[in-house]
Amino acid sequence: MEEDLISKKQLLELTGISYGQLYRWKRKQLIPEEWFIRKSTFTGQETFFPKDMILSRIDNIVNMKDGLSLDEMADKLSDKASFDRVSVSAAEIIERNIVSSVTLGKFGERLGVKNGYSFDQLTYLLAVDRLLSAGEMNMEEAELLFRTLMNKASNLESESWELFFIRKMGVSSFILAQAPAELWFDEGVKLVSKILSADVIEQLKGKLAFKLVE
Amino acid sequence: MDKRQLPDLIINGVSGGAGGTYNSVQIDGVGKVTGPIVTRIFKGNGHMNLKNDLSAEEAECNGTMKVLGHLRFNSLKVDGMITVGESFRGESCTLHGMLNIKGDCELEDFAGEGSFSVGGLLSAGHVDFKLQGQGKAHEIGVESLVIRQTNSGVWSKMLSGIIPKLRSELRARTIEGDFIDLEYTIADVIRGNIVIVGPGCTIERIEYRDQITVHPEAKVGKVEKIGE
Repeated sequence: MEEDLISKKQLLELTGISYGQLYRWKRKQLIPEEWFIRKSTFTGQETFFPKDMILSRIDNIVNMKDGLSLDEMADKLSDKASFDRVSVSAAEIIERNIVSSVTLGKFGERLGVKNGYSFDQLTYLLAVDRLLSAGEMNMEEAELLFRTLMNKASNLESESWELFFIRKMGVSSFILAQAPAELWFDEGVKLVSKILSADVIEQLKGKLAFKLVE
Repeated sequence: MDKRQLPDLIINGVSGGAGGTYNSVQIDGVGKVTGPIVTRIFKGNGHMNLKNDLSAEEAECNGTMKVLGHLRFNSLKVDGMITVGESFRGESCTLHGMLNIKGDCELEDFAGEGSFSVGGLLSAGHVDFKLQGQGKAHEIGVESLVIRQTNSGVWSKMLSGIIPKLRSELRARTIEGDFIDLEYTIADVIRGNIVIVGPGCTIERIEYRDQITVHPEAKVGKVEKIGE
């Protein structure tokens, strides 16, 4: 399965940043080296990026730029530990529009949270919220997905996982795999959606950046 | 930083060392160091042969230096020749002579005169370089790039005819940047906001956003305006 990629040229057109900025951010390690994917095209070699991740990362950089120097930002964005210490209250989640109130209302309480939600808990909520708000699954399935993530994701050895949401003859199920995973299904299976933990984490980092700037 | 006083490493004459963490490293003569060096100040005069990484806040090199591993620094001054086996990373570098890097080169400021060769990506904030020999990089990505050729005399013109490596020109596959001002450059693609192409250039394709100037003696294939 091909990951969704964006070429350097498209990226610059879309975000309005310049070559100089892009290379500068790369030098400051704001954009990880692994995201620069070289591919040959008919016009020669070109650089591509994983689309969702690079777009939300650039969004983060642009939004954080006023409060912090580039070096400070590089530290914060690459350091997951600083996000692990973050705890977010339910009111903040709604105010900052981190996940929708429907998702929060239905699943939030079940995490048994008193003081605030942790980063990992928020990634699960955000993953559920993404599929729900995209209209790709119903509440019953969301229930199942949430339980899967809560119980199983922490069992995975590495922090990055991929979630496959499949449906066959109207019966839906989830597959949680350690990334990078490649799965093949039989013909009757429809892959409704796929979620990468790295994407969710990147998106969440951007939404939580305000916590670090304070 | 640790408050304890770090030792110094001094090599005089023909000698060697093992590497480690130092306050300052001074090599005069022929010095060979086998392990990685981390130091505040590095000064080398003569012939330095480092078998591993070098990381220094301030570095100075007069003569020839070979670093087989990575080279990291805050500021570096070179009079002579440096060969780096892996990557080259720092804030500012002033070069008079030759620079030869097998891996990537990442700098904020790069100024000097002479020749350079970068195996991977040359990424820098500002490059202001006078060529006296060949400049070579696989890819260049910068904020601003200014390349000039120093006035070559009759002798160097004759020699460069015989030995192509001595010809003062820049060769790169792609050059990308905000401000690009070039002379005597051979490249496949140039992409930038403001592009100035001077004499002696052979460029297959230029993509620019704001402004372009092409010297009549330059050979340019296709020019395209992008963006808006």
